[in-house]
Amino acid sequence: MPSGPATLAALRSLLAARFPEKARKTGGGPATGVAAVDEALSGGLPAGRLTELVAAAPGTGAQLVLAGLLASTRGARQRLALVDGTDGFAPDAVPADHLRHLVWVRCRAPDEAFAAGDLLVRDGNYAAVVLDLRGLAVRALRRQPAAGWYRLQRAAEGGAAAVLVLTPVPLVPAVPWRLALRTPLTLADRRTPRAALAAGLTVDLERGAATAAELAG
Amino acid sequence: MNYAVLRVRDFALHALRRSDPVLAGRPVALIAGEGRKAVVTEAAPEAAGVTPGLAATLAMVRCPGVILRPRDPDAEVEANRLLLAAAFTLAPRVEFTGPGCCTVDLQGADPARTGAEMRLRVAELARAGLPAQIGAAATPLLAAYAARCAEPVRLVPDPRAFLAPLPLAFAEPTDAHAEILRGWGIHTLGQLTALPKAEVGRRLGTDGAALWERAAGEATRVLRLVAPPTTFIAEWDYDPPVESVEPLLFRLRRFAERLALELRAAGVVAEKLTLRLFLEDETEYGREFRLPEPGADADLWLRVLLAHLETVRTAARVTGVRLAAAPARPPAKQDGLFDTGLRDSAAFWENLARLGALVGDDRVGTPAPADTHRPDAFTLEKPAETVPAAAPPPVHPPRGPVLRRFRPPRPAQVVCAAERPVELDREPVRAAAGPWRVSGDWWKPEAWAVETWQVELAAGGVYQLARTADGWCVEGVLD
Repeated sequence: MPSGPATLAALRSLLAARFPEKARKTGGGPATGVAAVDEALSGGLPAGRLTELVAAAPGTGAQLVLAGLLASTRGARQRLALVDGTDGFAPDAVPADHLRHLVWVRCRAPDEAFAAGDLLVRDGNYAAVVLDLRGLAVRALRRQPAAGWYRLQRAAEGGAAAVLVLTPVPLVPAVPWRLALRTPLTLADRRTPRAALAAGLTVDLERGAATAAELAG
Repeated sequence: MNYAVLRVRDFALHALRRSDPVLAGRPVALIAGEGRKAVVTEAAPEAAGVTPGLAATLAMVRCPGVILRPRDPDAEVEANRLLLAAAFTLAPRVEFTGPGCCTVDLQGADPARTGAEMRLRVAELARAGLPAQIGAAATPLLAAYAARCAEPVRLVPDPRAFLAPLPLAFAEPTDAHAEILRGWGIHTLGQLTALPKAEVGRRLGTDGAALWERAAGEATRVLRLVAPPTTFIAEWDYDPPVESVEPLLFRLRRFAERLALELRAAGVVAEKLTLRLFLEDETEYGREFRLPEPGADADLWLRVLLAHLETVRTAARVTGVRLAAAPARPPAKQDGLFDTGLRDSAAFWENLARLGALVGDDRVGTPAPADTHRPDAFTLEKPAETVPAAAPPPVHPPRGPVLRRFRPPRPAQVVCAAERPVELDREPVRAAAGPWRVSGDWWKPEAWAVETWQVELAAGGVYQLARTADGWCVEGVLD
């Protein structure tokens, strides 16, 4: 009869062989430019995976993360898609040059946002797809069937785009990474350089997927 | 090989079948005449036992499921245009020889390239529901013979060897001549041309000499050339009117296939498509599609049209459809060595079209700040093919949290003390910064002026307020 560690190793190798996308190395996606987020995600948004960033209250810095992601993808000359659930993105709030690689989809309803996200995640031309669901009614978001989220996750696993989902409450079932922003910004922060503000943000890692190294034992 | 002939066997039948999706794979026969005098003129292979010349009533007995239809002149016109478009892609000098038949003057064309082009064209025509045969030879007549026995392309480098086994009927002898020649034991073109032309002429007269010339395939003639199309429009009238998207898409696919060929023959691409639906209540629905990537790809057009038509609801049934392609010169570009282009250009533009259909074309794109100080002024532009190099960082790096707007701004009740906001919608304000006053366009009727404040509520959250002539509103949250 095989020993415990041997059985575990066999199980790990079996899982890695059957679900190679699960064993894919984490990272590989664009950095957000927010130190706390990048550290929690081992360097940047994981490519081919969903990452949920929960901004439970307004003014906790989710838009700073988005601005950081815009800057980092612009520097790397990668494309970024923003599915804006409530049409809240303000182009005049970020440097004009940070918009030239952005495809902005201005939605009016949750259904539009989910359909647009599904299309963009499968596209293959984007380094990152941001699905911003903040501002939408939580009840409407909860009505989204879990199958829709799993479909989005499977679509993401088939491609190279990192998918960042910005939510007002934890929403995405079985999401590999879920981070929460809790530090409120104040009016005094308006004079602080944005890079310093981003560096000062703190996040809670609510859920982190097993890394490839862990999976391989 | 100086000439090519494009020919469609049973042309009227194929033209009808490609114009009606119901007839695909079904036993169909064309009839001429009415009532009991109606006879079959052409029959599809699926109509077992039905042959040309058979009375319609007898055809229905022999093949109970047979669909009998008269010829459709509109469908034949459309099919002839498609065949002509295919001919024009081979060479610019084309003759419309007759329904389902075109002759192309290939003089000066590269034979190696033309052979490959012919095979490609035959495959495209077959996909479009028009199974064509192409023959290429030294004279128009020989090319026509070659087309008749092509499967589906036949090149004739050696006319004598090609003609020898062909039956005499290819040269279309009169009944009298056919009878005489049969009596002489002559059944093929090769046997006839083995006889001296003068002796045949002496015995059969001038018609006999002409028959010998036709059998030798030497007769040449001047082609009656047709001008290539200069406008790229296709239209169709529905009778009865249609009320679902499937018949529309079927027709649009046929249009797209033909227009794409015509554009390619003219060496141009489409930069814009215009779709017009004519409705039963005598109104029209029109829509213009500016193609993200100019081209002549019928499949891409169809995807763009489908993405839009799925969202269209008309007040009445559709009685007609028109599709027009605006021609443009093909885009010529060379990406830079370090440019990051699109990995899958077709998917990118197709998905943009789908997103446009989903949320509206004016709500998808790359934002670009407008040349004004007016808040929230921007335009949405078509995304760039390549992401350009980043500009140097700004001299004054951005400060503070990033604004996330409420669109439209939310009207608010603001209480001020000493001209500073102290309460927002009954929530006490902990701190306020401002005002920042901006105005513009004072010389125009749409002059604007706004006073902006940033406030931090005691309950948490930093908001941006705006005061205009209409009162206070919350522009967004600083996040």
